[in-house]
Amino acid sequence: MSIVVALLQAVLLVALAPLVSGIARKIRAKMHAREGASALQDYYDLAKLWHRCEVREGGSGLVSRAMPPVFLGCFILIAAGLPLAMQACPIPILGDIITILYLMALPRFMFSLASIDSAGSYTAIGGIRELLVGVLVEPSLMLVLFVMAVAVGSTNVGIMANAVATLQAYPMVAVVVAAVACAMACYIEMGKLPFDLAEAEQEIQEGPLAAYSGPSLAMLKLGVSLKQLVVASLFVAIFVPFGAAAAAGPLDILIGFIVYLVKVLVVFLLASVIENSVMRVRYKLLGRYTWFVVGIASLSLVFLVIGI
Amino acid sequence: MTAKKNTALRRCESHVQAVRDTFPGSVLDAAWQAEDQVTITVPTDMLPDVVEFLYYGRGGWLPNMVANDERPLKGCYALYYLLSMEEDDPGFVTVRVEIDPHSMEYPSVTPRVPACVWSEREAFDMFGLRAVGLPDERRLVLPDDWPANLYPLRKDSMDYRKRPAPACDVENYSFLYEGNAEETTQVPMGPLHITSDEPGHFRLFVEGEEIIDADYRLFYVHRGMEKVAESRLDYDAVTFLADRICGICGNAHSVAYAEAVEHAQGIEVPVRAQYIRAILLEVERLHSHLLNLGLVCHYCGFDTGFQHFFRVREKTMDLAVLLTGARKTYGLNLIGGVRRDILDEQKMATVKYVRELRNEVEALVDMLVSTANFESRTAGVGRLDPSVARDYSPVGPCVRGSGIARDVRFDHPFDGYKYLTGLTARSHDGCDVQSRTLVRVEEFMDSLTMIEQMLDGAPGGPIRTEDWQYTPHKYALGYTEAPRGEDMHWAMVGDNQKCYRWRAKAATYSNWPILRYMFRGNTVADAAIIVGSMDPCYSCTDRVTVVDVKKKTETVLTKDQLEGYCRRRTHSPLSGKGW
Repeated sequence: MSIVVALLQAVLLVALAPLVSGIARKIRAKMHAREGASALQDYYDLAKLWHRCEVREGGSGLVSRAMPPVFLGCFILIAAGLPLAMQACPIPILGDIITILYLMALPRFMFSLASIDSAGSYTAIGGIRELLVGVLVEPSLMLVLFVMAVAVGSTNVGIMANAVATLQAYPMVAVVVAAVACAMACYIEMGKLPFDLAEAEQEIQEGPLAAYSGPSLAMLKLGVSLKQLVVASLFVAIFVPFGAAAAAGPLDILIGFIVYLVKVLVVFLLASVIENSVMRVRYKLLGRYTWFVVGIASLSLVFLVIGI
Repeated sequence: MTAKKNTALRRCESHVQAVRDTFPGSVLDAAWQAEDQVTITVPTDMLPDVVEFLYYGRGGWLPNMVANDERPLKGCYALYYLLSMEEDDPGFVTVRVEIDPHSMEYPSVTPRVPACVWSEREAFDMFGLRAVGLPDERRLVLPDDWPANLYPLRKDSMDYRKRPAPACDVENYSFLYEGNAEETTQVPMGPLHITSDEPGHFRLFVEGEEIIDADYRLFYVHRGMEKVAESRLDYDAVTFLADRICGICGNAHSVAYAEAVEHAQGIEVPVRAQYIRAILLEVERLHSHLLNLGLVCHYCGFDTGFQHFFRVREKTMDLAVLLTGARKTYGLNLIGGVRRDILDEQKMATVKYVRELRNEVEALVDMLVSTANFESRTAGVGRLDPSVARDYSPVGPCVRGSGIARDVRFDHPFDGYKYLTGLTARSHDGCDVQSRTLVRVEEFMDSLTMIEQMLDGAPGGPIRTEDWQYTPHKYALGYTEAPRGEDMHWAMVGDNQKCYRWRAKAATYSNWPILRYMFRGNTVADAAIIVGSMDPCYSCTDRVTVVDVKKKTETVLTKDQLEGYCRRRTHSPLSGKGW
């Protein structure tokens, strides 16, 4: 049963990712005082790209070719393992925070590797920036997840979700502060403005994305949308598990999934509003923002240690 | 100021006197073309001394230098160094030298006054006049594949319809690197870049993301308008061609050209027409500044601001429609006046538009300034040092953002601007993108005030005069303050009802040479906003050529290869090279 849920989850998230990004585009257009394209536009884009022929860049090798499927694949795996509809992980081994963190680090590594595999100077800059974001944000995320692991006594995300849902995660203040830090870290991780440094269109012409075309680009675009959805889901799964199915009945799971969708849409709505009312951070000053997140994450650790 | 009080002296005579005193025997001739314009002829070897003296010693700025083929008239070439005197005794002093048509050489002024560099390079491209001692002798205006010994603006060189066969197949422009760091990577921006839609090829020499130096190649879209005006159009039709120089500030060019001819011919433009010209120039400034404010948002990744500035900008376009009949302020000027009056009901509607614009733009600017990261993205970015500015004579908000309040509207009041009260040139001294942006914001608000004042102040009467005598071979300057800075036109009419020589200098021509200094020390991420803060014209295309010095992966395609590929669509010239 749980395998079916995992597969269903992965398929549904992949299928919904373009819709979610399409809705984000629609909100963006509305905030611009524009009509905007249909919310389904991202599906049309992907379909069009899928039929285009693939053009590869000079001198690029296996890494560039392997990057889009690896990128997409990693996030599909995470999607399969998260406790979204249920409070427990459908596949426990994929729901471990160590696994999740590594599954998030692998695409980043490939992304940066591919960017220096390309001959383009803007792509290399994009890759370097992506690594910079990783180095600055991942520690906070790790710290937050570590605090949660200690608070509930397990590194499994499903058990964390269950503990938070039943309000048994202790100490309470540490968990709330961790939730705040996690929300910020996840927002930066989503790569939305003002933190879309690796793909900054006006600065470095979409960075590494510029080196791709056709099906690879489609895979990569889908991967980027899915990443945003998965990162948002990670936050929702751990810290807002309310409404997810406690038991494994089909009806419970269906209700749990609908509740999950509502939660994640609210998260995207908020993210879209933030995204469209700020300017892109200068990449040199990114550290200032991430130090703030590190500070809050450390605060949660302090509360954990002193037990309030 | 002593010169002004002394009524015995004509305008600018104090400068001529000073040149005479400092360099005895240097002034061969001094002639006034208009009340505030004097041309002095000096010996060729005295040229650098005299220009330097007027520039640094008498508070002069150099908008431009005009080369002219005067062999049919006087048996020689002539150069006109135009100097705008902006301290005591304001006006224009033109330093003229005659050049022997056999030697074709003159001493370069650029080592003394760097502002001459582009004009002297252009004089070689167009006339083959060589500036001896010019540090940078690369081609400026003509394309890479133009034949080496064909100088298009010489009177005997070519018909304007001639298209010479390309002289070479590859780009051969060499980008100069003047930095100190040895290992740099070259990052090309352009010829077509996603945020700079006008083709311009910027070569950034970077270390990591830090820009060490930059060089650029422009004039990909040189249209040969000066040649067309000389050979194809009558002098009174050139106002309409001048409109088409720019897609944003065409009217500023048109007015500048018309006034160049009017000054030369001594035509008195009716006061009402002068007011109407100034009002339309300000309408143009309204939509141009809103465009740039929007683009500042866009370059910072704040597209919401961009879209909202464009939404409000639509109102200024409606205002243009109301006053001129079209979204562009084109086709309004004639020699001697304007074609269209502003009627009472249009005046009422304009006042209403102005009021709405003031409120909406104030709200938008508040939003822009309070947006997260605005300060960090613009403050201290793209620094234009005032001393660099003094050397290169940049114009418009670009120089006013560096604490130097140069503005033609106030330095040399013309048209309706003569009658304004209570306004002065704006300036900020942060020397950065933020200052330039704030200057534009303030100027926008000033423009609204100016429109209101001039609508109220415009007297009745005719809008055009036809009462003048055409005299061949007279020349003069016309000048306007376009949204991007001073437009300077120099026109000499011929004996065939055509322009003998027309030199149109757009504002940005004065600003490009300083860009290199504004780039230095910033990051690649800031390059777009720095170019944008200069406000050249923009749309959007995406094509990049990439050269990495370390990897040596440059691939150059010949024109034939590309044309062949366009026809066949098979056998890509890049296949096999792994592209």
